[in-house]
Amino acid sequence: MKAPLKMLLCHHGSSGARAAETLAHEVAVPGTTTLVHCLVVPELWAGMQGDDWLNNASTRDAFGNYVEGMLESDARRELATVEAGCRERGLAYESIMRFGNPAETALAVAAEVGADLVVIGAPRRKGEQGLNSRMELEKLVRGLGCPLLIAAHP
Amino acid sequence: MVYTKKSPALLIIGVVMLLWGWLNASGSIDGMQQYFQKSAYSDHLKVKEKFDAEFRVASEIAAAESKPAPDMKMPKSKFDEAKAFQANMSYIFGGVATLLGLLILVWKPKEGNLDYYLSIFPGMAYILLIAFLVRWGLDPMFANWGKAAQPTLGWNFASIFNLNYVVLGIVIGIVIVNVFKIPDWAANGVRTARFFLKTGVILLGALYSATELAQLGAISVLLIGFFVLGSIGVVLYMGRRMNTGNSMTAVLASGVGVCGVSAAVAASPVVNAKAGEIAYTIGTILVWGVGCMFLFPTIGHLLGMGPVQFGAWAGTGILNSAQVAGAALAFDPHGIETLKVAEIFNITRVLFLPIVVLWLATWYVKHEVGAEKVDLRKVLFAKFPLFVLGFILMFLLSTLGAFTPSGHYQGKYFSSEQIKEDKLLKGKETKAIEAELTRLKEPAGAKQLQDFFTEKAINIGQRHATPEDAYKGLTELIANRKVSTREQETLLKAVGKMKGLDAVAANAIDKASKAAYHSSKTIGAFRDWLAWLFAFGLIGLGMQITMAALKQAGGTPLIIGGVVGTIKAVGSLIVVLLFVKEFI
Repeated sequence: MKAPLKMLLCHHGSSGARAAETLAHEVAVPGTTTLVHCLVVPELWAGMQGDDWLNNASTRDAFGNYVEGMLESDARRELATVEAGCRERGLAYESIMRFGNPAETALAVAAEVGADLVVIGAPRRKGEQGLNSRMELEKLVRGLGCPLLIAAHP
Repeated sequence: MVYTKKSPALLIIGVVMLLWGWLNASGSIDGMQQYFQKSAYSDHLKVKEKFDAEFRVASEIAAAESKPAPDMKMPKSKFDEAKAFQANMSYIFGGVATLLGLLILVWKPKEGNLDYYLSIFPGMAYILLIAFLVRWGLDPMFANWGKAAQPTLGWNFASIFNLNYVVLGIVIGIVIVNVFKIPDWAANGVRTARFFLKTGVILLGALYSATELAQLGAISVLLIGFFVLGSIGVVLYMGRRMNTGNSMTAVLASGVGVCGVSAAVAASPVVNAKAGEIAYTIGTILVWGVGCMFLFPTIGHLLGMGPVQFGAWAGTGILNSAQVAGAALAFDPHGIETLKVAEIFNITRVLFLPIVVLWLATWYVKHEVGAEKVDLRKVLFAKFPLFVLGFILMFLLSTLGAFTPSGHYQGKYFSSEQIKEDKLLKGKETKAIEAELTRLKEPAGAKQLQDFFTEKAINIGQRHATPEDAYKGLTELIANRKVSTREQETLLKAVGKMKGLDAVAANAIDKASKAAYHSSKTIGAFRDWLAWLFAFGLIGLGMQITMAALKQAGGTPLIIGGVVGTIKAVGSLIVVLLFVKEFI
């Protein structure tokens, strides 16, 4: 297999994503491969105020700003961590942060950057805690125009 | 940013509404309406039969006197009124939607207030169209299907599962957001659902008497106080034992303890809840709330609960405040008595919210190393629910007689002059009551009455009523052919609902009660509008319950939420059945 030029790493900070990051480092070739880090903030957050109707607008705004700020700082932290890992290994690094459906966003970003390899982590094991926002594998596999590498469970 | 989406949707909705109005007004769909409005149509047939008979007699008399046939007009039946109501509603709202829909198509939207306010109308019309469809179509259709299937199934599935316009509307809202997604042109308008629900609660304030508010308020403070503080205490204890983390425990305690999603939204920033913790809490509360909204009304009907008991139970036992209103209307969709009780409990909960947020903030600072202290005064002011002031204002204005005749609550309609002769009890009705009075004075009847009074603990004035009060009240009712005082009305209305009472006597008591204590037509129409307002708000809120949020329920928070939610639901049911009496 030729060394990938543009490798898309879907990473949002879970243990599966960390395994994908490690695998990506192993596959990537310094000086040749550019690692494009795609971080998706899942669209479930759009409905997270649910059917709250009792609060004042100021309380809802405070909650919205709080969640937005927290998601952004979490995302920035993840981006910085992955970037540091790449720098350490001499890999070129780019990042893309999007809000949406994980599989649809990964497909869109892969097409946009012209990825020749996509690396993701394995779906979380049943019973393991975490946000319920899984990558729809079938949708991803059917839509991708390049190989997909799935890292085994850590 | 420009908010108005150029779309023909509002115009189409407007035209569909206008068409429905015309079909009703012209009588083109009378056949279909006869199926939907079965009970009203049966009233129509009776009115027509009576009119035909009267017309025939009048014509014969006129013919005998060699006069021309009389010019008589058939009185309006319930069926005519129902069709006219649908036609008027459709014309008014369809007309407005059509005009605004045209404006959206021809106007080039620019940033500003006009654009912002115009952008909400398509979504509002969308919800209203669903409300029309559900209330005038699906609700009667399911009722008919339930009755049709009853002989085969042995039970009425529509009635048992409360498949009325409220439940169906919320379900349709949930289906739309999760299956079809809310169209872009409707997104802004759908968010106004909150505003309409709050407006509904504020306007509801006009319908309470001072006695009702005082008694319901006292019960709600006791029940909510006990169960809110109790469930928060249990969550804090379980959270510490199960090592869920301080911020997770605190946000879960607020949501499970006070008013569900609203409390979690208010408390999250104060206790520095992490993203995943918020998702877990809101998912758990929504799953629990939606489940309870379907389960509570069914259990309430099976246990034969009345408006006060069910309103108190739903208001205490259901975790999420939106589903409290939903369950109350699902239980009693064609009246707002249950909603009135449940909303007092909702208001009491939301008044507890700032205090609980303060408590949790203090608890969090105490237990979390490095947590920043919170400005308590700022939290208290920011979380105070302003709409409750609107509710209180409406109550005060109503009590001072701003909306109804000032004597309304003082029993204006008890005076003889205000009751027409045809509303007074007839001979056979007073005889039926007399027979029942004699029976209730005999040992078996007296025991039945005594047991009933012991169980119900009916309040008249500042004391519990006794069987002697019932004897006196019934005797006076027979003598006057009407109820004479407010206390008598409260007492006799309760006696009229006693099991085993002769049907004619029970109906006569009910008739006397309605004759003396009837609300004005304005109040009746106001109640109808309120039910529409709540239905509109609840359909809109249904559109904000996403499966993605529901799916976040899980892990330890779901275990804690499930345990505490069950304790709260079952515990409040027992307390309500034991201590809350049906009559206020």
